[in-house]
Amino acid sequence: MAKRRLVTRREFMKAAGLGVVAAGVAPTIFIPRYAHGASKELKILVWSHFVPRFDKEWYDTFAKQWGEANGINVTVDHIGLAEIPSRTAAEVSAGQGHDLIEWIAPPSQFEPSVLDLSDVVKEAEKRYGKQHPLCRRSSYNPNTKKFYCFCPGWTIDPGSYRKSLWEKAGKKGGPEVWEDLITFGGKIKKEQGIQLGIGLSQELDSNMAARALLWSYDTSIQDAKENVVLNNPKTVEATAYMARLFKESMVPEVFAWSAVSNNQALIAGRASYILNSISAYRSAQKEVPEIAKDIFFTPALKGPRGTGFSSEHVIYSYLVPKKAKNIENAKKFLLNLVGNYDQAMYYSELYNSPAFFDAPIPSGSRGYAPVNGARKLRDLHNAWFSNDPFALPDEEKGKLAVLKDAEKWSTNIGHPGPANPAEGEVFATFVLPNMLANAARGMKPETAVEQAELLTKTIFAKWRKKKMIGGKA
Amino acid sequence: MSGPAHPAEPGGGDRGGILDREGALAKLLIAPAVIYIAAMIGAPFVLAILYSLSDATTGDPGLRLVGVQNFQAALSDPVFRLALRNTFVFTLVSQSIVIVLSRVLANALLKPFRGKWLVRFLIMLPWTAPISLGTIGWLWMFDSIFSPIDWVLRYLGMLGTASALFGANTNMYWLGVPGLAMASVILVNVWRILPLATVIQLGGLSSIPKDLIEAAEVDGATPWRRTLMITIPLTLPIVSIAFLFGVVFTFTDLVVVYVLTRGGPVHMTQVLSSWTFFKGIEAGDLAQGAAISLFMFPVLAVAAIFILRMARRTEVV
Repeated sequence: MAKRRLVTRREFMKAAGLGVVAAGVAPTIFIPRYAHGASKELKILVWSHFVPRFDKEWYDTFAKQWGEANGINVTVDHIGLAEIPSRTAAEVSAGQGHDLIEWIAPPSQFEPSVLDLSDVVKEAEKRYGKQHPLCRRSSYNPNTKKFYCFCPGWTIDPGSYRKSLWEKAGKKGGPEVWEDLITFGGKIKKEQGIQLGIGLSQELDSNMAARALLWSYDTSIQDAKENVVLNNPKTVEATAYMARLFKESMVPEVFAWSAVSNNQALIAGRASYILNSISAYRSAQKEVPEIAKDIFFTPALKGPRGTGFSSEHVIYSYLVPKKAKNIENAKKFLLNLVGNYDQAMYYSELYNSPAFFDAPIPSGSRGYAPVNGARKLRDLHNAWFSNDPFALPDEEKGKLAVLKDAEKWSTNIGHPGPANPAEGEVFATFVLPNMLANAARGMKPETAVEQAELLTKTIFAKWRKKKMIGGKA
Repeated sequence: MSGPAHPAEPGGGDRGGILDREGALAKLLIAPAVIYIAAMIGAPFVLAILYSLSDATTGDPGLRLVGVQNFQAALSDPVFRLALRNTFVFTLVSQSIVIVLSRVLANALLKPFRGKWLVRFLIMLPWTAPISLGTIGWLWMFDSIFSPIDWVLRYLGMLGTASALFGANTNMYWLGVPGLAMASVILVNVWRILPLATVIQLGGLSSIPKDLIEAAEVDGATPWRRTLMITIPLTLPIVSIAFLFGVVFTFTDLVVVYVLTRGGPVHMTQVLSSWTFFKGIEAGDLAQGAAISLFMFPVLAVAAIFILRMARRTEVV
């Protein structure tokens, strides 16, 4: 009988070692490598758009087709909104990754590691006309004179109200001034049992609402030259207003507000007024048409002295890391994106607005019903907001018409100054929503503002020391 | 008669000897683990120390040393101090609850009963599910509008009317009221850690010699006395391990707080790990984030030392 041969320890180790080496080497033998220097690639990282059809029906195909037409292999990766900062930090730190990264807030803190895109802005303005000031202030650092990102579009942040509730309370056209939210919003809550929903929480929408309130009360975090001016009587006035508003018209859900709360509250019929993009309304159109038909819009509400500003809801910001491998392709793609922004507007169901309103509409079939006489994006913007192509069949016409002149009452994070890393950190650490929430929870408005000022001044001093913002200590 | 001696020929008779020498082979086999730990834990730890002493940002991760400025800045930040306090409250309260509940569960699971395997499976489920997924499920449980807990309370007449036990509001707003928000994150953390602690305690209880218990019973010791004099002293080392593991997991956890409250309302559930993330990544101040995270190190180091000591004592037992 043949004796079974045992494997010795030495033989086992040799075989295992060979296996490991083979596993490591094999991919380099069988997977062909791209030749260095031949820039036939473009890797794009973008957020997963709130309107799913934007990505599925347009962006991915558009990018791919552009690549095919130019002999470039385009890869588009989508990630969730919350992952963008950490992913960008990781790629910048590693010195590799995508050639283009899209943010939906100004990525000003990345200025040292990204390309100055002044040439792209210059070329875009040459081809498509002036970039909207809001977008420029969200991408340009006046201190270093660099465009740390390129902004092809933005999103409007109007107020949405339930007409039937406001009509019953005696304000058919919805709120016009912030004080209406207390007078009529309070009445709706008391008599009809529906609160209004303006977040006072540690999240995105609450941050924008807080800024809209301050700006409409003629105050802000910084002035035009990036000096901290937060602690002043007007901020105290706005903070005291928010304490009254919470008491009269809201419930503690606003302290737990999240990115989905606006949609959720409106669709559930549990909000008489919210501050959000039109996405909440679009969701209602699909899920609860009866509620959608009752949703109407207001421009920025006015403060006690007649000023009314709203924050941009999303600012599309493309950055190109300095170590990106396909810089020229990235720049070409950005210019082409602006040239096709009519489709971005349409496939986002008017969620996206253009940064270059004077850009001409390309000829030929564009994937939507042609608009008579429309030559520029401005014409499309006006026509679509006057007559919403996505309105339900039996819905009232012209509901979105108030958004036509949104760029007049919309502004950037950092208003009246530019967006900058200090403003970004104040935003990311929720200083303003917490200032208002503290007052709403019973803190003296003066104390709440003082605490916020202390945090803000520390943040500004730090970034000023790095010479990334202007102003004085 | 002894046979001829065959001395090993120099350089020829022991080819590949490293594989045959126990000491060398042991080093070779342990090397991947050492390299892994050095690369995945050691290197980031050293980098965190360097970042904390620098002015690095996410946009400019270069290392320009600035001394202990970041630690001083963290200590003077009221949000950091609140986060530090919250971290201890979150950790100690949730682990105290975990130890009590896991002991109760382990005792129950020692007894034979029908469907025991199903109960064990259900208890283990939170540990096997991805933490983020489980926490998102809890997010809906605590939702300000659709919370099923609130629905039950309303159904029982305990919420939503002027005379109701929990007030006239239609909802509890679990994540919007500071006390309830902290209770919610603690509850979810207990739910998550409980399976591990139960399994560890079960192991400890099973290891107690049965004849010891039986002898105590014969001597007339009451259940309480048996627990105090036998069960607790004999399982103390392993319970301590369960506690310390829980402390380490909880102290460093970001997910529960991030998903449920993002540290709100007004930072009342902010913990060191979430504040590290907001400050270091979202706000871009990498150096400050690194400094905040290093404040966790002393607690974790002490916990690790205790775990190792307890483990050694358990081996002796």
